[in-house]
Amino acid sequence: MRQSRIATFAAGAAVVAVTVAGCSPSDTDDDAGPVTLETWISQDMETLFPGDAGSYDPISVLDVVYDGLVRYDPETTEPYNYVAESIEPNDDNTVWTITIKPDLTFQNGEPVDAEAFARSWNYTADGDNGLYSNYFFSIIEGYDEMQPETDDDGNITTPGAADELSGVEVTDDLTLEVTLSSPFAGFATMLGYTGFFPIAQECLDDVETCSKQPIGNGPFQVTEWQQSQELTAEKWADYPLEETPGYDAIHWTEYATGETAGWADFKAGDLDLSFPPTAEVESAKNDPDLSQRYVEAPGAALTYLGFSFYTDGPWQDIEFRKAISMAIDREGIISSLGSGQATPADSWVVPGGVPGGEAGTCEWCTYDPEAAKAALEKAGGWPEGEKLQISLGDDEAEVEYFTAIGNSIEEVLGIPYELNVDPDYFTTRAEHGYDGVFRNNWFPDYPLNENYLSFYAAGSEQDSQFGWYSKEFEDKLDEAAAAPSLDESVALYQEAEAILAEEFPTIPFRWSFSATYYSERLTNVVLNPFSGAPILRAVEVAA
Amino acid sequence: MGRYILRRAVQAVGTLLLVMLLLHLLTTVAIQLNGNPAQAFFGDKVATAAQIAAVEERFGLDDPCYDQVGNPCLGPFVERLGQYAQGDFGTNLRGREVSDIVATAAPNTLRLFCVVLVTWLALGMLLGSLAARRRGSAGDHGIRLTSVLIDAFPVFVLLIVYRYVVAVPLHGWAERTFGEDSWPPYWFKPSFDADHPWATVLVPGILLGLAGSAAFIRLVRASQLESYQGDHVRTARSKGLGERHVVVHHVVRNSSVPVVTAVGLTFAEALGGAVITEGLMNIYGMGGVLWEAVRNDDVGLVLGVVTLLAAVTVVVMILVDIAYALLDPRIRYE
Repeated sequence: MRQSRIATFAAGAAVVAVTVAGCSPSDTDDDAGPVTLETWISQDMETLFPGDAGSYDPISVLDVVYDGLVRYDPETTEPYNYVAESIEPNDDNTVWTITIKPDLTFQNGEPVDAEAFARSWNYTADGDNGLYSNYFFSIIEGYDEMQPETDDDGNITTPGAADELSGVEVTDDLTLEVTLSSPFAGFATMLGYTGFFPIAQECLDDVETCSKQPIGNGPFQVTEWQQSQELTAEKWADYPLEETPGYDAIHWTEYATGETAGWADFKAGDLDLSFPPTAEVESAKNDPDLSQRYVEAPGAALTYLGFSFYTDGPWQDIEFRKAISMAIDREGIISSLGSGQATPADSWVVPGGVPGGEAGTCEWCTYDPEAAKAALEKAGGWPEGEKLQISLGDDEAEVEYFTAIGNSIEEVLGIPYELNVDPDYFTTRAEHGYDGVFRNNWFPDYPLNENYLSFYAAGSEQDSQFGWYSKEFEDKLDEAAAAPSLDESVALYQEAEAILAEEFPTIPFRWSFSATYYSERLTNVVLNPFSGAPILRAVEVAA
Repeated sequence: MGRYILRRAVQAVGTLLLVMLLLHLLTTVAIQLNGNPAQAFFGDKVATAAQIAAVEERFGLDDPCYDQVGNPCLGPFVERLGQYAQGDFGTNLRGREVSDIVATAAPNTLRLFCVVLVTWLALGMLLGSLAARRRGSAGDHGIRLTSVLIDAFPVFVLLIVYRYVVAVPLHGWAERTFGEDSWPPYWFKPSFDADHPWATVLVPGILLGLAGSAAFIRLVRASQLESYQGDHVRTARSKGLGERHVVVHHVVRNSSVPVVTAVGLTFAEALGGAVITEGLMNIYGMGGVLWEAVRNDDVGLVLGVVTLLAAVTVVVMILVDIAYALLDPRIRYE
């Protein structure tokens, strides 16, 4: 009896050992199998519902699963009609008539018609659903009636009165008439964003399932999502439109610790796209073979410094703000931290990344210690014995950057600083809780220079996150929004940026940066100049 | 024995409730101090009050107590216990079912632990027994030196070196030698592969097990040495029993009680090692889930996962106690 217990234990261990060894991997692709692009996303992707997808990963997945009314030119980022046959504004850009191409369907066979867009927009615009992309619809008439009311403590008192946007009207099967609450020449540009994708009725009937198993209208169909581990999408055989790549499937491995986690897998040949961890950036760059398979592009996200205009301080004087800006050695800080994975910023709109974006619009964004000292003197200097507060959230990499910024300011201007790392940063910032300088970051939602500028226009000092207001600037934005054509509008937005540059309420610091290495199997790897993601629809994969 | 297990189970429930309350209080304070996680949903975008309120409601953060520092938020806690009683473990901060997360993550961690346990026992018993048997020999010294070296080598260094230096060439070599459609390339894959979980967890598990095995080797050696000198072994030998029988039945078995105790105690500790291994090898497991949940002040997820882990630990402890009785006839729980 006793002997048998020991035997059972040993047998148990043996079972484990045998299971581990197994016999043969069952589902390994043979040579004739489908051609699969192997790429990665982060492990924290929670949803694939278009109206709720606000971050890089779901947006890049949904870009191949869904088709929007417009898509963006990979080189110029300008929109062109894709699912839309035509998008026409009225004279003052307030009413937009959208015609949809005929005979398009979702992957479940439901028609992609005007109703499919209207139901998607209404659901996302309904504030009671608490979706990420809700705020995009504030431009459409009837949005306010769909939002819940809250009391002073931020609790919902009454849900939104309406369930549908009064400004969205389905005039026939393939035509939508959209009335905006104020003129906007760039409305068509917005329509390619994830939040504006259509959804099938089956999806709306069971949003929870649909957010894991999307029913798209794009070239790829999600076949399996083992959430937090891997996601597979296969080519949709009946895809009616032209922008679909030659390979058969995309497999995303989910990594817990960001994009560099897959580097070992990339080197082992199990991943087609990857970027090395900081320690290996140099050796990858110097590898003659690897460096042939590399693409990079400046990113579109701007990190910049804001001032608390709502408190008294030297920053009320533009000369002081100039002094701070010219005291920051952007070039030096960026090259010494993060192995150059950023670009120094000298404009408020990303140069080359969106229509209207130009480099060098900021006159005082170059490191110039002498001019900085002169400007500080002109501003009356820094009050004796005080410290400049520099506030930001508790992100380790950002703390490093902002320590370097503080040091640069202290070294050039002799202004002692104190870093205020605030875990409740977003709330404090929204409540005007800072005194001094604070970090800001802007990732644009759609490629138009307007998107980098209009959030400054809050209508008053109290409503602005910086406490800054300029009537001239806001009037220019209104003029641009009502311009007769997009090109004229873009030019007028550039003038608005010039006003911003003149009044200098914020200091551009750095642009994000995107780069990737790719495997020998891939060709035509192009980064989207706007999002920085590899354009999966364009990649060619050898079998 | 039955009554003993029942008593232990009742104690366990009490312990569990205490652990849950403690965790609930800690995470609640974290939310109150770090700000409402609903704000983080919007990241850098400035959201309106209505948008934040809607997101709070959607993810169950709308109880005003989360905004009042020092409020123990017992209401949501009791509500959660009620849900647990009905088998509903709630959702994380982004609406994903906690039971779904655990169902995906727990099997991976269990696989890792299985390999670790087999490695511990295999190495510990084998090398420890050998060293005890040949006490004072060159082999004994060699084994003891090895165990010190293993101890001195941090597990994350072992894993990083393996992943970045060894695995990539080994994976390529295995693919060329055995072909792509064979097991060896999977054994040496630098990251976990959810489609081949056992094969890709094998080497990381062995490495993690190796790192923890030093203590086992020394423990087995010491306790077997004691047995070799015991009266019962002398008696067995003088009865004329074969050496093999004496070793297996009177030395190894008698010296197993402390080893089983150590397995039980190290089990909980191994989760710490699992966080590192899972993170480095990209295994989606309980360690990594818990790590992220704590970082994000995800009360629901932290509570769900820790409750489960605490339950498992309690069960393991009971199993260890039962194993005592099976191994040592002198121990009875009546």
